[in-house]
Amino acid sequence: MKDDYLWDKTGQPDPEIQKLEEILGTLRYQPKPLQLPVSRRRNYFPLIAIAASLLLALVAGGIWLRARSQRIPQPRQAEVVLPSPTIDEAKPETIRDKSKNAIAVNRPHHRSVSSAFSRREREEALAAKEQLMIALRLTTEKLSLIHRKTQTTTPANQIKNQHRVG
Amino acid sequence: MYATADMLPVIIEAQAVETPVEARLVKAVLSGDRDGFARLYDLYAPLVHGILLSRVPRAEVDDLVQDIFLHAFRKLHTLRDGAAFGPWIAMIARNRAVDFHRRSRETVEINDELRGSESHESRANEILELIRSLPEAYRETLVLRLVEGMTGPEIAMRTGLTAASVRVNLHRGMKLLREKLGFVEGL
Repeated sequence: MKDDYLWDKTGQPDPEIQKLEEILGTLRYQPKPLQLPVSRRRNYFPLIAIAASLLLALVAGGIWLRARSQRIPQPRQAEVVLPSPTIDEAKPETIRDKSKNAIAVNRPHHRSVSSAFSRREREEALAAKEQLMIALRLTTEKLSLIHRKTQTTTPANQIKNQHRVG
Repeated sequence: MYATADMLPVIIEAQAVETPVEARLVKAVLSGDRDGFARLYDLYAPLVHGILLSRVPRAEVDDLVQDIFLHAFRKLHTLRDGAAFGPWIAMIARNRAVDFHRRSRETVEINDELRGSESHESRANEILELIRSLPEAYRETLVLRLVEGMTGPEIAMRTGLTAASVRVNLHRGMKLLREKLGFVEGL
């Protein structure tokens, strides 16, 4: 049937449709390769590297500060507590016993760390802290810059369609 | 009845057959296989070409086909059902054609198509113009059938339209085209 030819190209061919197919076939799609944009797989290496160096700087700073604080020994004072000098004539050995029991006690001495540092050392520590803070700020800036760059990167060979726009 | 181990390869094979090739290709592309998209392009470029040819000037069609596939590549993750790739990209193509006309409304179109050097091509452009003057429902189906050489069932499968709709559009569209061409039906 002619209808079948129009529908699924089976049956008796319709010459008019065949003629139309032949003429219009010149406009048929001609295969062309598709150019896909370059893969934009995110590279996390710079971010990881920066985070690692930041962490390393923090750890190094911490170790350094700890080492500085441990270099100055805590002064210990031994306090000798002696019993009051009472003379017991009747029991002279008691005095001897008591003087034997004279004890040296290390009482916890709550002195602030800052007072343990000299003025020069404190200034040095503050300067080091300031340097560490500047380094951290710089790292943060670089991190955000790289983040911005990775967000705004455009594919290199993207095809731009050129329409006639009025 | 329970499936035995012997039946497993048969079941897997049956499932593979049931899964449309588009669904498998979309899945592959989403997991990083760019060749899968090239295959989808090969399968669907004629459909997109036909849809555009029935709506926009011929000189613009090739660029738009590329543009649509690039757009589809970027937005593929938004496609929920991979098997519906055909209807999805067909819809993108139709929308892009509407966009094209909206943007180029004020430009003066030089119709190169009617200036074909060869008579055969010139005739083709004339007939294409006649098809474009038909109602929208018919022109796309006719272009896919007569220009791209697809069968009715193929058009239905690729566009997501029902076979009945495609059949009606083909017959009514063909009848109108014959009238415009001056053919007398049945002769």
